[in-house]
Amino acid sequence: MYKYMFKQFLRTNTCKLGLFLVLILGVISISIGKQFLKGQERIGSHVTEKQLEHIQRNVELHSEDIGLLLYYLKFAVISEVSPLAALSIGQKDVNPSVQSVSILTLEGQKYDSDLVNPTKLLFGNLDLSFILLYVFPLLIIAFTFSLKSEEEETGTWRLVRIMSKSRLQFLLAKLSVRVILLLLAMCILFVLAGLILSIPFGMAFLAFFVTGLLYILFWFSLSFWIISLKRNSSFNALALLSIWLTLVVLLPATINNFVVTKYPVPEAFTTNIKQRDGYHQKWDTNKRETMEKFYARYPQFESYGYPPEEGFNWLWYYAMQYLGDEESSKESEMMRTKILQREQMSRKWGQFIPSIHTQLAFNDLANTSLSNHMYYLQYLNDFHEQTRLYFYPKIFSNVNGKEVDWSQFTPGYFSLSSKVNFRQIFLPLIILILIFFGLSLLNMRRESRVY
Amino acid sequence: MRKDILLLIAGQFWKNVFKSKAIYLLMGIVVILLIYAAFSGMSYHDQNHFREDHQKMARESWEANPDKHPHRMAHFGTFAFRLKHPLSFFDFGIESFTGNAVFLEAHKQNMVNFSEASFSTSLLRFGELSMAMILSTILPLIIFFIGYRAIAAERENGTLKVLLTQGAKWNEILVGKSIGLWGIALLFTLPFFITTFIMLLIEGHTGTDEWMRLGLITTVYLTYTFIICLITISVSAASHSSKNALVILLGLWLLMIILLPRTSQALGAYFYETPTKLEFRAAIEEEVIQYGDSHDPNDPHFNHLRDSVLKVHNVNSVTELPFNYSGFVMSQGEKISTEIYNRHFNDLLDQYRRQNMLSRTLALINPYLAIKNLSMTLSGTDFETYVDFQKQAEDYRYNLAQTMNDLQMKYISAGVNSSEGKLNVVDRSEWKSFPDFKFNPITIGAALRYEFISIFSVILWLGISVLFLRYFSKNAKAI
Amino acid sequence: MLEAKNLSKTFEGTNALVNLNLSVASGEIFCLLGQNGAGKTTTINLFLGLIKPTSGAALINGEEVKPGSNTNQWIAYIPEVVQLYGNLNGLENLDFFSRLAGYKHSKAELSELLIKAGLQEADHTKKLSSYSKGMRQKVGIAIALSKKAEVILMDEPTSGLDPMSTDEFTSICKELAAAGKSIFMATHDIFNAVNVGTRIGIMKEGKLVHSSDTDNISANELQQLYLKTI
Repeated sequence: MYKYMFKQFLRTNTCKLGLFLVLILGVISISIGKQFLKGQERIGSHVTEKQLEHIQRNVELHSEDIGLLLYYLKFAVISEVSPLAALSIGQKDVNPSVQSVSILTLEGQKYDSDLVNPTKLLFGNLDLSFILLYVFPLLIIAFTFSLKSEEEETGTWRLVRIMSKSRLQFLLAKLSVRVILLLLAMCILFVLAGLILSIPFGMAFLAFFVTGLLYILFWFSLSFWIISLKRNSSFNALALLSIWLTLVVLLPATINNFVVTKYPVPEAFTTNIKQRDGYHQKWDTNKRETMEKFYARYPQFESYGYPPEEGFNWLWYYAMQYLGDEESSKESEMMRTKILQREQMSRKWGQFIPSIHTQLAFNDLANTSLSNHMYYLQYLNDFHEQTRLYFYPKIFSNVNGKEVDWSQFTPGYFSLSSKVNFRQIFLPLIILILIFFGLSLLNMRRESRVY
Repeated sequence: MRKDILLLIAGQFWKNVFKSKAIYLLMGIVVILLIYAAFSGMSYHDQNHFREDHQKMARESWEANPDKHPHRMAHFGTFAFRLKHPLSFFDFGIESFTGNAVFLEAHKQNMVNFSEASFSTSLLRFGELSMAMILSTILPLIIFFIGYRAIAAERENGTLKVLLTQGAKWNEILVGKSIGLWGIALLFTLPFFITTFIMLLIEGHTGTDEWMRLGLITTVYLTYTFIICLITISVSAASHSSKNALVILLGLWLLMIILLPRTSQALGAYFYETPTKLEFRAAIEEEVIQYGDSHDPNDPHFNHLRDSVLKVHNVNSVTELPFNYSGFVMSQGEKISTEIYNRHFNDLLDQYRRQNMLSRTLALINPYLAIKNLSMTLSGTDFETYVDFQKQAEDYRYNLAQTMNDLQMKYISAGVNSSEGKLNVVDRSEWKSFPDFKFNPITIGAALRYEFISIFSVILWLGISVLFLRYFSKNAKAI
Repeated sequence: MLEAKNLSKTFEGTNALVNLNLSVASGEIFCLLGQNGAGKTTTINLFLGLIKPTSGAALINGEEVKPGSNTNQWIAYIPEVVQLYGNLNGLENLDFFSRLAGYKHSKAELSELLIKAGLQEADHTKKLSSYSKGMRQKVGIAIALSKKAEVILMDEPTSGLDPMSTDEFTSICKELAAAGKSIFMATHDIFNAVNVGTRIGIMKEGKLVHSSDTDNISANELQQLYLKTI
């Protein structure tokens, strides 16, 4: 029976066209992922290569004046790009994965965006996660919407009812043919991705795969439930496509609009203005006041004393720069809180909506989520402070630039190794699969009792 | 074609649709979506208040500066906050992905930062619910749903035969049904434009430019729904069964509205690579350095410049010049670096345009893309409007830097190098007299310059869909 | 007046209709008998202009049925199951279809037509989806009357009708013929054909193999003839 079911299905145009489409799009998506990954690697190696050169050139020019030297020097911090990012680019194309910062006011530097084509961002990435989230469900709908109704409409269903021992088994067998074919297509794409992108086979990759698998099974169970309602093909097609539209387009968009409206982030602008004013206005105020504020935060440097009110002085200059950060820290913190609230709100809703849940899970596994970037910014803060604290005493006592051991200043490297929370990722999907599959079985049972 | 027969068939189609409950459900859903989208659009647009407040805040802090060395002011700089177009609440366009604030200072072209996307989870990437999105994406599906049975079902149950023997012509049936379907589509479409109209009135954006834009948006979308209606009826007439008609229409929707746009844009970006920020900056820096380093006392270019200036003024040292020499050097440097930057930036923009070209050209085979581009442009939320903002901000920045350099040359003593302290300063009234940044969005004519393909595509598709209908009114089968 | 001259139709190599010559004059009722697939419906579709003949011509009132000709103005068609719009009532359906044909009747006139066709007044405002086959047929006849059709084509009008409805239908047909209409019906019902028809024809594999008046033939004789021919 299986043999004929495969044969019959494989001969339909829907099947041939569908599998062809998903494989082609899948391969395109993997190449796009590859290009993205290469781009990210290029940035990483470019920075690493240039940083030493950049330091050496400036040390040559300004070693006599270490204050001026550090005015020019920039230190890069690279955020690790996991190979999985190629499968789920997430917000990684919006948020830069490398930031080069000097030890001047950080708030003016750390939000510096990447050069990206906004139109490209608008249309979105064609990565494997898009194929899994959008295209696979569509194929599942196309493959199953007339699973039973087509037999009724062509008249074979009467015969099936008489000939088969169990109609449920017959339908399940038909369904499993489609499940097997689509899972096969998915496996092919994952193997290709693994090879082309040389993704190490580890927990994250496995979790990524299983998440995709569960998401696909969720759609099959949903589709089977609609089939079990025993309506005609047109109804099934419309119902399934409407559900698809709701889950993949309308609900995420609605929630996003809601989150954006509920948590606007004007603090970003305020931070930006305040960090400038916090620093610049110190040019016109009493130097002693500035130094007092600086020493209140870093008492360990108080021994460097207070520079004269007249004339320029690096100690005072870096104190002013630091105050730019300090005087905007309240707004900066509020901005951070707001962004994290947005993230939490999205997740809260997401766990009930499989499309959103899967997307966020993919991003988490690939380290391409918003929260990943927020951790990176946090890391950047720490890095910046450490670097400042390393150079402050050298600048304040005007050490010669050549005496610093520059070889240790390779780019900082941020890598987030969080444990995969299997239960949190898989459970919502598994529950939904069980619910819909259970409902379908109930419907089918009811039917067999009536006839 | 007889007018009364057309109206009769259209009216019958109309009545038939309203006999079913589904239409009321659909209308309910669309009205809810409309209200939600209008509300979101309004609150998105309200972010302008934040921006205006911050523009004011930045300005106040600029004007509050005491007497100062102008170069300190050049570095104090100011901000440009991007104001959303009045019609941006209708179509969000690329707004969420463009930066909103840029710091403008001497020597340095900063990035436009703080896009909505940088504060968002990847939820944003599923798309946003705007009025334009409902009209361009959801409405076609609704029209398909209402219209797929129009002809196919009449054929299935035999009424088509009776219609024809009663003397109705094929073209009358097809056109009549199309008119009926379009009438229903209008019921769905018009509330959007009425809402937009009222919102513009409430917000007090009542300039001719806005009204013209709204008029064109309305025309464009009405044409779009008309095209969709004609295609629906044609497919229904061409299909063996209503189920087939539905499957074909749903397939078309998925291909044209979901798969093709993203794929074409992704491929466009794949084939035209753009430099990373670091590469972009490095390339500019390299070129600027070739001109010479004004900070290097032994730089040949600037030494040559100094010698020639001294010669022209017939003096021996810069302290004898009638103006502040370091102000002069900086103004030269600014000029050169800005020129280089602008050249690179325009190259980058051209590369972006090339990336966008594939999906813009595909508008010829996909009317959805044409509508999307036109709608964004008319709502002032498109790529070119954003580029225009960046250019205006950069022009302002250049002007600011050069004005400060001029002040320095004019008011600061010839040989003074340091900008610190209260000694070498310019009167604070100068800060006030330098005007604030004001963003003037491009006019509708300028905006449409880039939309020839889209406009052509809409007209082309209007023609194609009419031809489809004509073809099937000659070749359709009654049984 | 309805006429076929050497009318032939081929579907993908199969001869559905071969050289049909036939004419039905005003006041005549022609009953065409034949098995499923013999070519009866093809003949009707050709007269309706829904398909094009491979050769020959179908004529209505002497005018050839072809794209652009206006022969439908004289024809009414009553399909096997009169499928009208289920969510409209009898009056509304009649109004819609007669308007299509260019006739605007008042409500009283429409009602009168339905009564003439045998539909009781109480049923006029019921939705068509609740109608029986016989009732639907009456609406079909009313539509034919409304456009003052001179030629009425019927496809299996009595199949599935109960005896009383069949009787009612037969008398209406006779009234119509008496009023000068040409009626052409395809049917399986030999007894009714003898009863209602003025002439009968038997069709086999696209050919008209027998044609005669009904005056001098009984139902039994016709049945014998039919079985022999087929």
